Amino acid sequence: MKVLASLRARRPVLWRAVATIVLVCVALVVSDHVSALTDYYLADAAAMSIVMVGLSFLTGVSGQVSLGNGAFMGVGAYTAAIWADHHAHTPIAANLALATLVGAIVGLLVGLPATRLRGPYLAGMTIAIGVAFTSIIAEFGSWTNGDQGLALPRPVGPPKWLVQYLHSTPTAARPGNMWLADIAVVTAGIAFFFMANLFRSRTGRAMRLVRENEVAAEIAGVSLPRARVLAFVVAAACAGLGGALTTIIAGLVSPSTFELSLSIEMLTLLVIGGIGTLSGALLGGIFYAYSSTWITSLVNATGLKPTSNLAASLNGIIFGGLLIVFVLLAPLGLTGTTRFVIVRRLRASRASAADARPVP
Amino acid sequence: MDGFLTSRNVTDVLEGIVQGVVVGLVALGLVLIWRATRVLNFALGAIATFAAYLGMGLLSYHVGFWWCFVLCIPFGMVLGGVAERVFVRPLYGKPELNPIVATVGLLLLIEAVVGAIWSTTTRAIPVPFSFIRWTLDGNPFALSPLSVFQISAALVLALAIGALFRFTNLGLQLRATAHAPEVSRLLGVRVGRMLTLGWMLSCSVGAVAAVIVASGFATGLTPSEMEAPFAVGFIAAAVGGLDNPIGALFAGIAFGVIEQFVTDYLNANLVLPVALGVLILVLVLRPQGVFSRQVARRV
Amino acid sequence: MSPLHLTRLVTRVAVVCASLALAAVGLTAATAAAAGTATPNVTGVTGTSITIGATVPLTGIASPGYNEVAKAAAAVFNWVNNHGKVNGRKILYDLVDDCYGTPGFGCKGNPDVHADTVTLVTKDHVFATVGSLGTPTQAPERAYLKSVDTPQLMVNSGSIDWNCVGGSGTPSSDCNGTTYPGLTGWQPSYTTESKILAKYIKANYAGKKVCFLGQSDDFGHNGYLGLTYGGIHPVVTRFYSVDALVVSGAASITPYIESFQSAGCSVVYLDTIPGATAAALGNAEALSYKPQWVISSVGSDPTTVATELGSTPDSEPGAISFAYLATTNGFTDPWISWTYKVLEAAPGLFPGFKSTSVLNGNEAYGVAWGVAFVEALRAAGRNFTQASFLHILTTMKFETPAITPLQYSATNHQGLIAGFVDKIKSKTATEPAPGKDGNKTVWVTKSTSASPVTSTTVLSLTVPSWLK
Repeated sequence: MKVLASLRARRPVLWRAVATIVLVCVALVVSDHVSALTDYYLADAAAMSIVMVGLSFLTGVSGQVSLGNGAFMGVGAYTAAIWADHHAHTPIAANLALATLVGAIVGLLVGLPATRLRGPYLAGMTIAIGVAFTSIIAEFGSWTNGDQGLALPRPVGPPKWLVQYLHSTPTAARPGNMWLADIAVVTAGIAFFFMANLFRSRTGRAMRLVRENEVAAEIAGVSLPRARVLAFVVAAACAGLGGALTTIIAGLVSPSTFELSLSIEMLTLLVIGGIGTLSGALLGGIFYAYSSTWITSLVNATGLKPTSNLAASLNGIIFGGLLIVFVLLAPLGLTGTTRFVIVRRLRASRASAADARPVP
Repeated sequence: MDGFLTSRNVTDVLEGIVQGVVVGLVALGLVLIWRATRVLNFALGAIATFAAYLGMGLLSYHVGFWWCFVLCIPFGMVLGGVAERVFVRPLYGKPELNPIVATVGLLLLIEAVVGAIWSTTTRAIPVPFSFIRWTLDGNPFALSPLSVFQISAALVLALAIGALFRFTNLGLQLRATAHAPEVSRLLGVRVGRMLTLGWMLSCSVGAVAAVIVASGFATGLTPSEMEAPFAVGFIAAAVGGLDNPIGALFAGIAFGVIEQFVTDYLNANLVLPVALGVLILVLVLRPQGVFSRQVARRV
Repeated sequence: MSPLHLTRLVTRVAVVCASLALAAVGLTAATAAAAGTATPNVTGVTGTSITIGATVPLTGIASPGYNEVAKAAAAVFNWVNNHGKVNGRKILYDLVDDCYGTPGFGCKGNPDVHADTVTLVTKDHVFATVGSLGTPTQAPERAYLKSVDTPQLMVNSGSIDWNCVGGSGTPSSDCNGTTYPGLTGWQPSYTTESKILAKYIKANYAGKKVCFLGQSDDFGHNGYLGLTYGGIHPVVTRFYSVDALVVSGAASITPYIESFQSAGCSVVYLDTIPGATAAALGNAEALSYKPQWVISSVGSDPTTVATELGSTPDSEPGAISFAYLATTNGFTDPWISWTYKVLEAAPGLFPGFKSTSVLNGNEAYGVAWGVAFVEALRAAGRNFTQASFLHILTTMKFETPAITPLQYSATNHQGLIAGFVDKIKSKTATEPAPGKDGNKTVWVTKSTSASPVTSTTVLSLTVPSWLK
């Protein structure tokens, strides 16, 4: 363990690479042993956590509130679908890279006017973007097929060797879903590796300084507008990648997925998971994939009639309630608060250990 | 003259004003809260809707329409006061993300609670004004008794709020608290109470807006009715300048007119993107707002 | 850390990872070998039951009218389960709430329709989806359901997207250039409907100006096409967006109705959902504009439109519409009393429904295709597969509440391709439209421009004895 700790201190990038590879391998093994439906949720969770890690960076690290991240995700999702419709034989990796790039460009376009805004103005502008996205999709119906959405020309299928490997699976869905989960997990691994380095890098530290104390940041030579725009670019690129991944997983894209409620849900789950952290984004992704299932189980467990008013509104009550509770009582989210508690305990034990040492 | 009054453009302007007074009231409400507490209240529309449901809910107890309408105002005040005290007061001084997230949470929660109590089915309001438009020389004119009621209710309320601020002691205290809270405290103003009062006034303005929105034909009260007016209302407030109530009201009405022209000449889908475009344009050219007197901070 | 330490560490990690991977291979090879001896089965079918499913809006904005469709079919399946079953099997109908049309948080289900469909296939293991609702929700699922060999039957929508069987009847652009042999629709397409209504308009409102308001998707555009195929060319054509309607309400349609009025149209064709129908009617009332309304069957059910109008005066009576079930007053329909029996016997689905309740269009619609599915299941016999079931579906004769024959065939997966012109009589009733080409004449036509509109005899309806 000491070896690992010193590796972490001396060569952090290598440590992160190793950690990522190990986690990805574990996830790949897991995807082989669970049901097709769980594989689908796993894929969804991985895609969403990529989007959330970008938002975690934007809102948590650089302090810019964004309630329009769903729109960036939609940009990536539609880019992947429209490109695939016209160029059906592009390899998946190229498609994802394109969506990331387009997302980054849109992030730049949004980030530039956004540098002039603070707090609520910025939040309000991002809300307007989040709301306007579906209208824009409906307007360009000849490209986007409007309300009806776009389907990928061929659903993404597993390679032959994998199918033969799982030859006797009970339903046809299983190798397909497992392959999707694997793609998603590997992509998430790459994205998280990149973001982990970014969080801890000089750029990340500069962003935190900008968020906390603008004057100090300026004195330290940080260019404020550049830092802010960069944060938007990164968040939008992550969102674009995650969005394209969801298109590949679902085999289709539809505007109703990218309403304002998606952006709000993302922010809520991130606040619960822990804003400004990587693990918070990971938790947020998992919560997102399973939220409907859990709420349905809750409705069944409490014996509520599924079509009653209360059951239909339960989603909003739970999300709204959780958001308020966390903001008032645990604004650092689950991971942040846990970390805080652990650090405090460590410090307390170290202090008492220091006390125990005889003073020379 | 009659031909002019029933022409397409004049019709659009008048219809736009009818839509715009609601947006203006929302913008006014947002500015009131911003000036008082420097918080952007994302839950304004939801609180307003809740108050409207409560007020109009009295109809089933055989209370007359006018009483119900007027009672929406105190319901709005109570809800706004509770919201500020319980959910927002603990967050003053925290990072600016926190009150934003808290009010977004309130928005979700309150809309869901309204849906849970009254269901999401639209509830028509029996407004005692005909929605049939007047005709001039056989051609329909843009206004009907109902739309005149909608415009008047909004303007009367805005004037009342304006009079409160300008001509009463309480209004003076509110303005002082907004400009210089520390000095006001030293002068004996109960600053905490003024903050809560700012929220109460704002939510009562919103409640009236919610009733106006629901009073149209083929529509009624729904839990999410204020979502779109909120989005455009925020844009109007930002464009007008978050510290200027009159500017916000006028900006709201202007946006209503723009909306109507966009729907008529282009497409109803483009209303929000166009509003967004106007917002970005204004923020790039004059970030403090069109009517604001403050100097913007340059990055 | 020295290079030696580093190398050792990296090697250690690589070994761990490789062994994990090998273990994975080993384990899965093992499970694969063990599972290889499973006996093949028809998915969703056991000795005593058959499981089918659908994604429908059980809660949310679209639900008040539309969820009654699936519930009515469920009531039919309940009845059959309690009155003799089908070839010894019960029908288990899994409904998944897909929040169709609801933005935001206002519904309980999972608005990710694809996830809902994956749930039906991989968790509920359905034999087929039957009666899933909506064009934008179901069109993208065609490729997925084909890839997992699950038939997608009787999609509740009038789009021509469900008739993808190749041949002259198929517009390839809507079928992504492929065929979907396991896919069928049920109701007459929007194009069939508007071609027939165009004939009626030509015969009875010749020389009058016609204006068109349609939904900005397949529904509106296919309907518009059918009008032009039938020789009607509207002087003003506008499309409304459902998004804008939900957000801004009736005001989003006001300028369109104003433009119809200033163009002098005395006939207005509405290819609208009930909410938009109500908005159009209300706007016309406000403008004191009284054209002859011609409304698609999707948006004309008088009970639903009256609910949407709320306290606004109801100007729908007198409007012309299109129908294909016999629930219209003026037709003898032995299915009506049977339908009442079935709905009354399902108080969990239709609480408080009794003989004096009004039977609305959504309920009649659901019963009609529910009956069709049950008949096909019975005809398929005790032993069947998905392929043999589809074969039966496309070759058998049906006896359903539809007033025209349900004629699935190898080249027609649309379903019904005929109907008649009816008129809204009151808030709760309809009657056959008077005038030329009305009066209970039933017309047949396919969805292409070349297919002629010809009349056919009204079916004499009977309820099969084994269903009573």
